[in-house]
This record gives sequence, C-alpha cells and structure tokens, in this order.
Amino acid sequence: MTDPVLEVRGLRVEFDLPGGRLPAVAGVDLTLRRGEILALVGESGSGKSALSMSLVGLNRGPRTHISGEVSFGGRNLVEAPESELRLVRGKDITVVFQDALAALNPLHRAGAQVAEMIRTHRDVSRAAAWDRSVALLGEVGIASPRENAKAYPHQLSGGMRQRVMIAMGLANDPAVLIADEPTTALDVTIQAQVLGVLERLRADHGTSIILITHDLGVVAEVADRVAVMYAGAIVEQGTREEVLFAPQHPYTMGLLASVPPVDGPIAARLPAIPGSPLTGIDRPAGCAFAPRCAFAHDACAERPALTRRFGGPGHLDACVLDEPARAAARPEGSRS
Amino acid sequence: MRRSRPAVLVARRLLAVPVVLLALSTAVFLAMRLLPGSPATALSAGGGQTLTAAELSANQARVSQALGLDQPILTQYLRFLGDLVRLDLGSSFYGSNSVLGLLAGALPATIELTLLAMAIAVLLGVVSGVVAALRKGTWIDASARTVATVSFSLPWFALGVLGVVVFGVWLRWLPVIGRLPNALDYHPTTNFVLLDAILQDRPELVLPWLRYLILPATTLALSMAGFITRIVRASVLEVLGDDFVRTARMKGLAEGAVVRRHVLRNSWLPIVTVLGLQFGSLLGGSVITETVFSYPGVGSLLVKGVLQRDYPVVQGAALAIALLFTLVNVAVDLFYLVLDPRLRKG
Repeated sequence: MTDPVLEVRGLRVEFDLPGGRLPAVAGVDLTLRRGEILALVGESGSGKSALSMSLVGLNRGPRTHISGEVSFGGRNLVEAPESELRLVRGKDITVVFQDALAALNPLHRAGAQVAEMIRTHRDVSRAAAWDRSVALLGEVGIASPRENAKAYPHQLSGGMRQRVMIAMGLANDPAVLIADEPTTALDVTIQAQVLGVLERLRADHGTSIILITHDLGVVAEVADRVAVMYAGAIVEQGTREEVLFAPQHPYTMGLLASVPPVDGPIAARLPAIPGSPLTGIDRPAGCAFAPRCAFAHDACAERPALTRRFGGPGHLDACVLDEPARAAARPEGSRS
Repeated sequence: MRRSRPAVLVARRLLAVPVVLLALSTAVFLAMRLLPGSPATALSAGGGQTLTAAELSANQARVSQALGLDQPILTQYLRFLGDLVRLDLGSSFYGSNSVLGLLAGALPATIELTLLAMAIAVLLGVVSGVVAALRKGTWIDASARTVATVSFSLPWFALGVLGVVVFGVWLRWLPVIGRLPNALDYHPTTNFVLLDAILQDRPELVLPWLRYLILPATTLALSMAGFITRIVRASVLEVLGDDFVRTARMKGLAEGAVVRRHVLRNSWLPIVTVLGLQFGSLLGGSVITETVFSYPGVGSLLVKGVLQRDYPVVQGAALAIALLFTLVNVAVDLFYLVLDPRLRKG
C-alpha cells in the first residue's frame, strides 16, 4: 500500500484567456500510492479537474501551459510527446468522466465503446474484445450485460451509463483510474452502488484511484486519503480521519461546517464560507484563502507552504495559524 | 424527443408527396396561363409567309381550338388533373411528342448531372470543411473559408460560362455542348448512360460520358461545395468540443481515429439536413447549367418549354423536378435513422 504509483511535483496548469493567464493549478505536489483511493476535494473552479486532466495531458492545447513533473513509470508525463502519452492514456491511466451521457458517443453501442478501449491497446480480434467488454459490463454490475452491451447510451439509465464509463476505465487493468465526479448526476442509491464498484475495483485489482469530488459524503465513504484544493493549490492533505475529524486549514473547516450533520439538530441556516472562490486571473501573493478567512492576519500576506504543522505524520496543511487558534476555529462536529 | 417508428415516419413523408405535387402542378398550371403570349400565337405565326391580321387571328383560333386552349381555364384545369391522375402528362404542342417520353429521356440526364454534382460537392466540401475545422485559426482555415465564400457567391451561369470559355474554348480539353458525342452509337435502354454501359456491356461509353458530364457537374458542384465547407466546418468544430471526443482521446486513440470514428459520424446529421435542402437549389442550378451547356436534361426541357409556351412540357418538367426533390428529402429522413440511433424507436 505504500509504494508511490504517481508522483506530482510542482505542477502548474495555466490557461490563456482574453485577459491574461489563468493559473488553474498553481504548483501542486501530490503522491498517489498503490491501491489507495485519494479524494481530491474542492469547489467548482478550484482546479481539481484541470489538475487531473493534465496528468494525462487531456487538456493540452495551444492555449494551455502545463509545467512541472508528473512521474509515472519512470517518465515525466508532462514532457512526454503526445505519441508516447497516447500509449499511457486508456491503458495505464484512465479517466471516468462525470456526466456519462455526454461522455459516451451517442452513435456507438455501449459494448463497442468499451471494446474500442480494449482494441486501442491490445491486439485482439473484434469478437474477443466484444466478449471481454460484455464481461466487464457484468463485472461493474450491469444486469444482462450481453443485451445491454448492444444498447446505445440513450437507452441506458444514468447509473448504467456511469457503469459503462467505469467498465471502460478498467478495461485495460490500469494502474491509475481518475474518477472525475463519477457520482454527481446520480441519485443516492445508484451513487452508493457506483462507489461500491470503485472500492471493489481497488480491492480486486489494486488499482489506485483519484476520486475528484465536491461531495464530502462521498469522501467519508470511500477515500483513504484526502487532498483539499483551493484556488489551484492543495491547502490540506491527510488521511480521511485526519481531514474530516481534525481539519487544520480554515478552508477545510468551513467546508465541513457547511455539511448538515447526520445526527443532531440542523441549524436554521447552514454556515457558509463568506465570499466566493478565486476564479479570476489576478491572484494575491499571499494565502489565496485569506480574503475569505475569518482568521486572516498580517502573516497571511506571504503564501504558506504545504507542510506538516500540527497534524499527524502525513497530515499537511498550508496555514500559518497556531494551534490554539485552529482549535478555536474548528466547527462543533469535528472538534472531537 | 418524440420518437416514431421508422416505417411510420417514412409513410408520413411519402403521404405528403402527392399533396406537394398537386399544389405545385396547380401553381405551374396557373403561372403558365398567366404569362403573356400563348402557344397559339407562336404556332400560328406561320413560317416566312406574310399573313394578314384576319388570317392570323383565324389561325390562332384554329390552333387554340385544336389544343383545347379555347376552353374556360377551369375546364382546362380539370382536364389536366384528370389526365394527371391517369399519369398522362399530355403531349408537347410542338411535334406532339408525349411529355412522358420526353421526360424519360431528360430525367436520367438530369439525375446523372445532379448526382455527380452532389458527389463532387460533398467530396470537396467535406474534405475542406474538416481540414479547416481541424486547422482552425491557421492560414489553411482562413484560405479554405475564403475559397468557400467566393465559390458559393459565384452564380452558376457565370461559373458555367467561365468553364466553357476556359476548358472548352481556350484549352480545348473538354466538350462543352450536349451529353454524348454525336458520332457515338448509343441506343438507350434506361437512358442512364452508366447503367446502360453495364447492361449493354459497353464500357467504352463511360469515358466520353464522363468527359461531357464533368464540366457541367463541376460548375453545379462548386457553389454547393462552398456552402458545404462552411456547414461541415461549423459542425465539426461543435462536435470537437463535445465530451465524448475527450473520452476518445482518453482511450489513447490517435487523433486520426478520434476524428474518423467519433467526430465525423457525429458531424453528419446537420450536414445531411443541409444536403437535402441544398439539393433543391442544385436542381434549380441544373436548369441554368443545362442551358449553358445545352445539356439535354429536364432543365433544358423546362427552359425551352417556357420560351415556347409549351404548357404540357413545362408542367411535366416542373412535376419531375418536384418529385425528385421530395424523394431526395424522404431519403434524407431515412438516412437520419441510419445515422442516429436516438431517432429510432428506443
């Protein structure tokens, strides 16, 4: 469980916009270990999708600037040419996209889309790829996979479509699976089933999973470790227990406070983090969260590094507050 | 989206065909009779003899009576409809050839011309549209768009005359008049030359046929190609932004395969719609193009008919063109069903 599969160092992703360069990912370090589920949490626009897409260069383009290091299999994928990256995509690292209806080709049968993934990387016959794709659809819990493989995406339910995406994602036994909000469009029971599929996948194949989500309930359910992103940077990182029950960064605290408690009275008005996230081109030199932070002070004018401060050994945060101040800031539910 | 079974969809479209044809033939019937001048005037003018006014009007009355043009318009209309129902399109006022016979000769020629023009236009338009979209923002894109705009702004007659002058008169590469060389011994079976070449086992017919056809077909194709280029470019650009294209890239597919398997097929729907509608203007263009190249198709027949006030011929030719157009659009509807499973019954 401990050897790293994917290591990200100093990753920056910038998009050229009419007004200047948008730093969507502003220097991220991240390690993904074998067989773990790492949740990447943050609001929309926090850079979690830009981060994960850039891991396999899916957002490469004339207006995108990706720099830094993504080590995988002894190579830096950021600098790998497209021809080399293609061999990694879909085989070693795959992505399960949110909104499967849009992410699946409406004109191809479900089974064919999975089979295409297989045939892109393996020299197998059409029939063999189809059989394997039917088997995969069964493995992710699609009922009567032989019939449903012949269905077009619009003929399947939302949950089934997402499973087709997942079947596609694991078709070639990848080392890393990036699941980008895989449960966002699904209702709660289907959501639980899809998460179950991901967990089983990790258990059976030892696949490492990066789970991108803004849903802390999903995090609590399946994640081993959690990285919280804000304005293109990771502000806190640790095990699920550490981050959910002993948050160190005021932003994480704010996120947790805004989740209604499962037991106990629900406040008339859920606490929200004041202000809105930074999405523009201009970023402050110091802590990006400071403008919204109730505990900001002079020291926040300098950007704090992500490092271990008052948490456990692997519990990192990017906040200059001292321990008593953090304890006072923590919301009720997580102060145990 | 409401889905219907393909058979129902097609049946509904086919049921509309007679209605369209009735409306159109009525319009043509009236339009011809409202035009100044009558066939009787033309026919009774007599070759070279100087006739007195009295003789002339006596002649006209005789001709009018012979052709049934002295009857009230309603009577003429009802007779026309009655004949139409029995698929009798009447005979030309000149030489009394049956209109069906004339169409049997002309319609295949027009179908050959428009289909080849369509094929050239689709080939040129799709290739340049796809290339322009994939190279968006480069000089390739800019020049493809410029050429497209210029070509679809050029009127057919200008292009046709230009073609005649350049390839026929200056370079002398291609024949510019007619459909086949006069010296060629051709006895039509179906009047589709390609089909006849196969049926009669005469492969030597194909080359001269193509040499005659290529210039009018290209003339007709160019402006449509420009239009298709723009539609294809827009459609491909839109599909390129779709999520499933990113999925295709995620699979590790090479860009060529992404475009071929995922982008192009999804771009076809709007393109096919436009092709069906553009076929109408292609038929309109064929009238002009056939006239410029003296190509013996329905267009030439129509123009000659109008000039001579040859009512039955004009009515027949217009019906034939309308029938062709509606059938092509029914075919387009069927093609949708082939292309997009979402439109089939789920």
